[in-house]
Amino acid sequence: MEQVSGEVGAFQVAVRKKARYVNENLCTGCGACAEKCPTMVVDVFNAGLGNRKAIYKYFPQGIPSVFTIDAAACRQLGQGKKCGVCAKVCQAKAVDYDQKDTLIQLEVGAVVIATGYEVFDPSVIPEYGYDRIPNVVTALEFERLLSASGPTAGHLDRPSELALVKEMEEAEKEHKKLQRQVSQLEEKHGKPSSEIVAAFQSGTLPDDADLRNWALLAQDLASLEARLDSMNRRKATASVARKLAFIQCVGSRDFRFNPFCSSYCCMHSVKEAMIAHEHDNGVHSSIFCMDLRAVGRGFEEYKLRGGKQANIRYIRGRVAEITQDEALNPVVWYESTQNRQVVHETFDLVILATACVPSPGAAELARQFQVELDRNGFFKTDPLAPLNTSRPGVFVCGCAQGPMDIPESVAQASSAAARAAEIVAPARQAVG
Amino acid sequence: MSNDVLVIGGGIAGIQAALDLAEMGIQVHMVERLPSIGGKMAQLDKTFPTNDCAI
Ligand SMILES: Cc1cc2nc3c(=O)[nH]c(=O)nc-3n(C[C@H](O)[C@H](O)[C@H](O)COP(=O)(O)OP(=O)(O)OC[C@H]3O[C@@H](n4cnc5c(N)ncnc54)[C@H](O)[C@@H]3O)c2cc1C
Ligand code: SF4
Ligand code: SF4
Repeated sequence: MEQVSGEVGAFQVAVRKKARYVNENLCTGCGACAEKCPTMVVDVFNAGLGNRKAIYKYFPQGIPSVFTIDAAACRQLGQGKKCGVCAKVCQAKAVDYDQKDTLIQLEVGAVVIATGYEVFDPSVIPEYGYDRIPNVVTALEFERLLSASGPTAGHLDRPSELALVKEMEEAEKEHKKLQRQVSQLEEKHGKPSSEIVAAFQSGTLPDDADLRNWALLAQDLASLEARLDSMNRRKATASVARKLAFIQCVGSRDFRFNPFCSSYCCMHSVKEAMIAHEHDNGVHSSIFCMDLRAVGRGFEEYKLRGGKQANIRYIRGRVAEITQDEALNPVVWYESTQNRQVVHETFDLVILATACVPSPGAAELARQFQVELDRNGFFKTDPLAPLNTSRPGVFVCGCAQGPMDIPESVAQASSAAARAAEIVAPARQAVG
Repeated sequence: MSNDVLVIGGGIAGIQAALDLAEMGIQVHMVERLPSIGGKMAQLDKTFPTNDCAI
């Protein structure tokens, strides 16, 4: 969105259509380009838990089914290097490195703002250790771990083990390289490396750069092998996450951050615990909450069903701190209000039910449209006209207006559509 | 005067609003910041209260 002028019935809006560097009329969505692209990028869609290529589709079922180049990451477009691999392999000739952003001028009678929300960043709560403890994840990250199309194909592998696998892959690559170099030297000199290392360590190695280099390489190889051994032992004892803790109201109902209740997180924790249990009957979940808010059609029954059928334990109490033991298991410290005691308990994985906060572009959009935001930063509406912003002809629905679940977002969207239609319908009749 | 409507954001709310408007025969323009529409719901595995698949 670049510029907005006009008024209800006739807004002029300038929109910047960002270059995809792929012609959307030609791209067939086959993915041959991404298969061959040499550049790996951290995948935002998978909440940073996986990787994707520089030429990518945001997610496999994404619409439109067209690839896009991430210009900043791409060797050719962003890094000033030579590449062009994707253009070469694309049979549809859709890749276009010269594509430019275009400005589109629209004239519209009404506007519906549906820019949604962002998840609260829990790293600002140091006592929960989100950026220090690998096995503390957000609920959105956990959704990706549960998903069959996610980075673990739906297995509850712990992030600490995912990191270990990645570290091992890199170490194995390095190991191959070192091994090759060392065996070449052994062949060249017709001696085993152990002799050279022994001489080097006892200080009797002749002063020769080539021999010295060989000794250093052989030492590196030995220490890398020791590291690989210990990583292999850790991997052998690793198991999937079975004992889960869900921490509610992370950044919500907390006057340091957001005073409001994010409304959907109690229910998504129950849901995630139920799905985890469906995947693996050995899963036990504890949900730590001040109170579990199940306000909605069928929600209370859903919560009770979870408790009975999915091994969910509801614990009343606010979690004070999360620490970590030597086996990288998170430890949850909390006050049990039932027993009036401060207790701690060890889990395999902790899931933070983070707050629903305004989308980062909301303030800029509000400025462009000259509409007001409420004190929490969501689009302000009138309690008796909940879809009207402060400006006639501009409506808002879904989480752009405040935290709400999908059924409520959909209901609001239909109402906002009806309100917008009321404005443009007379115009249509005048034309027709 | 214009008969078109602009929908900003292609999450579940924006998609529903756009579909309703299109069904009424109104021309809709949708602006989405990311390469694909779907919003946060596309990132969810299944949704409460029915545990249906989100995509
Ligand atoms: C972990 C988790 C689990 C959940 N599980 C459930 C569940 O099981 N059931 C349920 O009912 N609800 C669930 N919810 C809530 C659900 O995600 C929301 O109710 C729903 O996604 C709101 O939809 P929306 O369209 O308003 O917003 P979003 O999904 O946020 O969509 C907004 C869209 O607008 C785009 N956008 C933002 N700013 C701009 C801009 N300036 N210009 C152009 N485009 C823009 C965004 O890229 C996005 O595509 C869950 C939430 C979380 C965090
Ligand atoms: S040109 Fe860019 S997007 Fe295409 S293959 Fe090379 S790095 Fe990947
Ligand atoms: S819905 Fe539940 S977890 Fe979310 S803020 Fe409200 S009370 Fe806390």
